Order: sequence, then C-alpha cells, then structure tokens
Amino acid sequence: MPEPFLIHVDGEPVEAQPGDTVAASLLRAGITTFTRSIKYHRPRGPFCLEGSCGQCLLRVDGVPSVQACRAKAAPGMRCERQNAPLGNVENDVFRAVDIVFPGGLDHHHIATFSRTAGLLALEVARRLAGLGELPDTASPARPGKAQTARVAIIGAGLAGLAAARAAAFALGEGVVVLEREAAPGGSALLNLDPARPGSAQSFESLRAALGAGARLVCDAEVVGLYPDEGKGLLAVRGPDGLTALRAERVVVACGGTSQPLPFVGVDRPGVYAARGLIKLSRRCGVLIGAPRVRPGPAVPREGAPKLAVVGEGRELELCSEALRRCGYEICAQVPAPLVRRARGNPVRALDLIDGQRLRCDGVAIALPPAPQHELATSAGAKARWDASLGGFPVEVDERGQTSVPWLFAAGSVANLPPIESGRVAGAAAAAFEDDHG
Amino acid sequence: MADKAIVCACEDVSVHDIEAAMARGHRDIESVKRYTGLGTGPCQGKSCLAGCMRICAKAGLPESAQVPFRARPPLQPTPLADYAGLPLDGVESFRAPFVPAPGRDPAPSELAPREPLPERADTVIIGGGIMGLALAWNLARSGAGKVLVIERDYLCAGASGRNGGGVRAQWTTPTLIELAKESIEFMKGFAQQLGINVWLRKGGYLFLAHDDETARRLEDSAALHRLHALSTRILSPREALQIVPELDERRFISASWNPDDGVVFPWPFVWGYADGARKLGAQIEPFTRVLGLDVEGGRVTAVRTDRGRVQAGRVVIACGAWSPEIAKFAGVEMPNRPYRHEIVSSEPLKPFLGPLVSMLGTGLYFSQSMRGEIVGGMGDPDEPQGANQASSLRFLARYARALTGIMPAVGHVKLLRQWGGLYDLTPDGSPILGETPGVAGLLQMSGFVGHGFMMAPAMGRRMAAWMGGARDEIFERFTLRRFAEGRLERETMIIG
Repeated sequence: MPEPFLIHVDGEPVEAQPGDTVAASLLRAGITTFTRSIKYHRPRGPFCLEGSCGQCLLRVDGVPSVQACRAKAAPGMRCERQNAPLGNVENDVFRAVDIVFPGGLDHHHIATFSRTAGLLALEVARRLAGLGELPDTASPARPGKAQTARVAIIGAGLAGLAAARAAAFALGEGVVVLEREAAPGGSALLNLDPARPGSAQSFESLRAALGAGARLVCDAEVVGLYPDEGKGLLAVRGPDGLTALRAERVVVACGGTSQPLPFVGVDRPGVYAARGLIKLSRRCGVLIGAPRVRPGPAVPREGAPKLAVVGEGRELELCSEALRRCGYEICAQVPAPLVRRARGNPVRALDLIDGQRLRCDGVAIALPPAPQHELATSAGAKARWDASLGGFPVEVDERGQTSVPWLFAAGSVANLPPIESGRVAGAAAAAFEDDHG
Repeated sequence: MADKAIVCACEDVSVHDIEAAMARGHRDIESVKRYTGLGTGPCQGKSCLAGCMRICAKAGLPESAQVPFRARPPLQPTPLADYAGLPLDGVESFRAPFVPAPGRDPAPSELAPREPLPERADTVIIGGGIMGLALAWNLARSGAGKVLVIERDYLCAGASGRNGGGVRAQWTTPTLIELAKESIEFMKGFAQQLGINVWLRKGGYLFLAHDDETARRLEDSAALHRLHALSTRILSPREALQIVPELDERRFISASWNPDDGVVFPWPFVWGYADGARKLGAQIEPFTRVLGLDVEGGRVTAVRTDRGRVQAGRVVIACGAWSPEIAKFAGVEMPNRPYRHEIVSSEPLKPFLGPLVSMLGTGLYFSQSMRGEIVGGMGDPDEPQGANQASSLRFLARYARALTGIMPAVGHVKLLRQWGGLYDLTPDGSPILGETPGVAGLLQMSGFVGHGFMMAPAMGRRMAAWMGGARDEIFERFTLRRFAEGRLERETMIIG
C-alpha cells in the first residue's frame, strides 16, 4: 500500500496521498486560499477542479502559475502561493485595493487629470502587475513530434468514442482519439444519472472502436486546432511535449466546461463547480470543508460537510444527489435566481434574496456545462448563444459538419445527444472528401 | 472583501464593469472583451464568456451579435519550451496565396448605429483605425466642417487593435524619425488631452545585431539618430546584459539602445481619438461597409455604404492593407500589399523586462506589457501575400525557438493567446499620402507597413493641417504618383 508523503506549501509541510492532485492535497489539509487575484488581490481558490478556470494557479517547483487541480502531487514538491507581494497570501496587505475601490478601479480613467499623477499610476500599476515570477531555471526545448491521421477525434467521452467507432468501421485505420484525461469516458464517468449507466455504454463503444482500428491516446490535450490547406493541424500536448498532428478531418467532441454564476462573492474560496467536487471526491477521496490540519494522525470530523448547491433544473437535482453519494450533506438546493451573495472566506454562508441565510461549509454550482466551443470556433466554425443552455453550441448540419468543411462536432459541444451525434459525425467525417482530394 | 460580483475571475471583471462598458458604447462582445479585459487571463474566457453573454443578451445585444469572441489558440496555457521543440517540417504551412472566404453577409450589421447616415459631409474618412480617427479628431478640432468616419467592423478590429504596442524614434529616414518623435511627445499627454490612459511605459528599445553587417547598419542609424537629437547608443553585449540580464550574450555581437522609446497599450488610442472626435462633432460609424465611390468629372462626389449614400467633397482612404480594395471603387490601382504578421502573448509575469528587444536579423521582437505578459512576434520570410489574419502553429514554433534561444530563462513560461494582423506593405516601405492622380478630392493615408500605429498622432495632425491649406512636403514626396515616376523612399529599419 503506497504511503502518504509530504509536499511543501509556502515552506510548511502538507500531507499528500498517492494519486492526489496538488489541489486535492491542499483542500484536504483545509487550505482554501491558493492565490490572490490579479487586480484587487481578492483571495482565490480552486473553482472548476478540471483545468479550465484560472483560479488555482500555484508556483510549483519553481515554475509559475501551474494549475494545481491538474498537477500531480509528488514527494518533496515545493508549492508557493502567488501574488502576495509581501509574502503572506492569507493576509495580503494589497487587498486594500479591493476595499479602497469598492465600485471597481477603472484603469482606463484613473489619474488622467495630470501627467504627474499618470506617471505615478504607471509606476504603481507596473509594480503590481503580473502573477508569477520568472521560472527558477531555464528549460531546454522539449523535442516534439509530427504525425498524421485520417480522422482525429478530440475527446474520448461518449460522443468521441461513438464517432471513433463509426469512423474506424468505415475506414479500417487511420482514426485517432485524443483524450486529455488519463482514461477515456469523459463526463460519463461521473455517473450522474444512475438510471442511465453511461460509462458501461461508453466502454462498449470504445472496445468496438479499438477493435476496428481506432487508436486511443490518453493524456493528450489538444491545445490548438489550425486550418491548414483544407485539413486540420492539431497541437497536441502530452506528458513528453507537443505533437503536430495533421488530420484530414477532425471531430470535436470535447464536452463542456463548468460555469460559475455572477453573484456577489462567487469568486471567493469555498465556491466550487459541482462536477469538480464530484471528481475530487471520486479520484482523490477529498471532501471540502475540512478545518486547517497539520500532518499527523487524521482527526475525524464530526458529521458530513454541508454544501449548499446552487443551479438549474436537472443538473441541480443530479449533482446534488451525486454529491450526497460522495458523502456531503446537502443543506439546500437553491435555484440560481434566488441567490444574493456568498459570505465568508472560505464561504460559510449563502444569503438568498428573501433574506434567508444558509450556513454551510461550501457552495457547489450546478449549471449544465457550457459547450466547449473554443477549439472549433478558433478554427472558424460558427457558434451562437443559446440562452436556455447558457452557452455557445457549435452549429452543425444533420451530418455533424460545421461551417468549416473538414471540421465536425458531436455531443455537448454541439448540444446534441452524445452517442447518436457521435456516430453520425464519425461516419460523415470518414466519408468526407473535400476538393483538395 | 468588497461586494463585487466577479464574472471574469482571472482579470477581476465584475458585472458592473461589463454594464459600464456597454453604457460607453462597447456593445459587441469583441469590444466588451477589449475594454474590460474579460477573457484575456489564464483561462482565456472558458469560465467567463458565458456569464458575460448572459449580461449582454439581457442588455439587448442583437441576436445576430450573440456569438463568442474569437477564441485564440492555445486553448490551454502551454510552455514556450514545448513549442520550441516542434519539428519545423511538421508545422510547415500552406504556401499557396490565401484566398479570402467569398463574400460576407450583405445585410447591414445589426450592430450598426440606428440613426441614418447624414446625406452629406465635408470629409468622409474610410477606415476607423488609429490613422483615420487621429485625422478625424484633428480635423474636428480645427473646425474643418462635418467629419464622418466609416469603419466596417468594431473599432480595433484591424491592425490598430492587433499590433504589439511598440513606439520608437529609432528609424533610418528623417521623415519617420521626426514623425515618431512628435507622436511619442503627444502620447505623453494623451490621457490629459483625450481622457483615457494609454500606459506609455518608456522602457527603451534594444536592437540586437547577430552579424557584422547588421552591426554596421545599427551604427549608421545611431549616427543619424544623433543628428536628430536622439539618445541612441551602441552597446557591447556585456552592456546590453546590464539592461536585460536574461539575454544569452553568445547570440549577438552588438546592440543599439534608445532609453526614450517604449511600449503603449494600443486600444485606448483608438477609443480615445474616437470619443474625442465625437465630442467635437465628428460622427464615427462602426459596423458600416463601403460599397462604392461615386466619381464625376474626375472628382469624388460621394461614398456609397450599406446604410446609404453620403455626398462628400473629400474622401480619405485610411484602410491600411485594405486600402487598394477601396481605391478600386474609384478605378485607382494602389501598390499596397497585405502580409500577415503574427503575435503571441504569454501568461502575466511580475515585471522583469524593461525594454522592447528586437533581433533585426530574424525579425524577432518582444517586450513585457503593463499587464506583465511577454508580447512578441516574428516576421516570416516565407509568408505568402494575402489578407490572412488567422493564427498558425508554424509561427509559434519559430517564435518559441527564437525567443528561448536569445532568452533561455523563459522556457517554462506559458503562452496564452496568439493572433494575426496585417502589415500594409508598399514597394519601398514608405507611406502613401496626399492626392490621388486623376481623382480630385480622394486623399491617401496608408502604407505604413507595420508602424502606422506609432506614427498616427503626428500624421493625423499634419494631414489635418495640410487639408486645411498648410504646406507640407511629405504630402508631395510620398504620393501615389511616385511609384509611376520611380522615385522610391526606402526605410530599412523595419522589424520583420
């Protein structure tokens, strides 16, 4: 049985469990403030816990602004919290900026009345700017690779795997599925809906796809999708560096991104994405809400930590239920429009518009994930706001083709049922021949 | 903690900030992004764009404009060292000339101002970049009658919103040196004159020479700079290291240093001139397309747009690399050619880099913005001609190699956002100004390659004065006619 080990946070030891992300170790130890925000020096901690927001950045082993929710903890790791110029993140004196400018600091118009005031503002702003310090050491170029594929599928959730099966069935070979996580499955692994056992179906399609000549690459995050001579050129980041992958057709099936809500205090430590908390509990066995603990024998907590879950519709129901199964006590399920503000650092109460105050150990936000349109739209595909969805689904025709001929989209990215849209887009991508031959 | 409802946690942008930007007229999502900074931090909008659109949609943003702002690669912060290791043959790019997508939606944009265009104006300026807007403000200030500026997209959509923000007086032609000197002087007081901060930070410009020939060019231009009272000095690599200790001194043999040059934040210039011109009675009309020019008896008489026809005695073409497209409406051929230049911005770092550093031989340049990002670019000798503003992986690979080569300390630094813009290249690298042969009243103000931004404050003033009747030799020397007559005016200190 692997042993717990120590990492260091601002020089203090914190106990980590094998398999922890850095964020998991800190949250287990009750550390909730990970950094200070860039402008007002407000305290910030992790929100999405899935590598899409920018709230958990730490300096790790001399490298600035590393996502704590994605970095694996390792024995002896040195973590430093950033952007507290005098070194104390918990009591950063520059939080005065937040208090002195309660209505916000308008950087466009501050100190425009005189040249001297402007020069002073310039000096102050320059000193306070930025987040991390330069890295401790130089990094040599990490040798990358160049590869080709006939069909590249981004995301190995239900939609991506269904697309892979269909494309591989049609082409026989040359299909590659790129998954940013260490294992396929995507949001199906959350098992949010016990009535619909998603992961079982997803693995079934995966097996069939692999049998027919699709290659699955995990820990492979697509960070760029460039149109290039009627094909897609993908920048794929893996543990060993970047690969430039040229694909004749591309299916984007990378799911959605957890979203916050714009209420007062939503940015405080202690407000998390519901799906992120479910993953944190399943993968690292961490429930938030622990008091600050030092390394040593675990102190058993009295009762389950209490969460207020804020959200909309079915996602609110399903996430609350799943969080309960993780071991949380759900003290309230609150429809989004009823929230006035979050209080405390970390958040310990939620005020509602009817004057009610809900005491809790943290707040979870359960909105349907917004379609992750960025890869597709950066390559020129069209997407349009859908108010009922709270996001920008990529526009596709009945074959899953976007406004860019070689580019297809399926699943949550296009707000479509994953398995059916994946199958259609995978088959259409395999059959697609463009003018370039 | 103050009671802020933060939408963009990376850049601390609140609901109030978004509403205030919209109230100031920044309604489309690209302008809201640029004015508030929303979506420009480490998450690049993945966690705030939807929240922002909830607010914009509620505030009445037309449905056709309810689209995401253009997502920029990389989609996750990715270290320079990773890009530096990409095999260049794997990212070899498309060599064929870029063909723009056929025709945009011909319907007028729903974002265009509701009020109809005026039936006539004294001067119509086509192009709402910094050139056109600086001219509009100067004309309005001198009481030159009704001024109308037509811009086909949001303000900042073109090169004025896509440049690296460098401003310098280190040039090799006296005209550019004088224009730049005046512009930099004006920038120092921009906030007081026009009410918005442009964050001019005088960190200096450090040009590095990698071979003897470039070193000689730097020495020659430093001698010229001294004649123009600039404080340019030639430095040894050792001396250059005192200014930027992170440089690898084996990579260059000498440097040219001017401590008075600097970097600015480009967008507020555009907004400041536009607001300033409006206050003085000029009309600025974004999201409006020019469809034609009416010429009668060798004289321009009107501009036709997708919102109607405007009669005008004088029409100024200030469209940068797009100027030939507009000139064609009057049957005039222009030699400007568009070439893409790409830029990338890193994660925000605490201040460490004072000057803008440029390697003249490779076309690499980089500086640290007021927000702490390393912003840089690099010319590409193989870039095909064309109005292509897309981003490429090839650029990141080349830039990362060059940057980590000259400054290895940044290998672990992550890149956040890349974009492309157009250089407006003329056959001799000098601008096109003044009258148009054969079409009276059609005036030229383009061809500033990649440095129009830093010349605009002085150009706007001089062009307005010349249009008001003042004599100015540059409007005779840099005319369109010179290409037919073979009188070229060569500028060589061009980055890229």
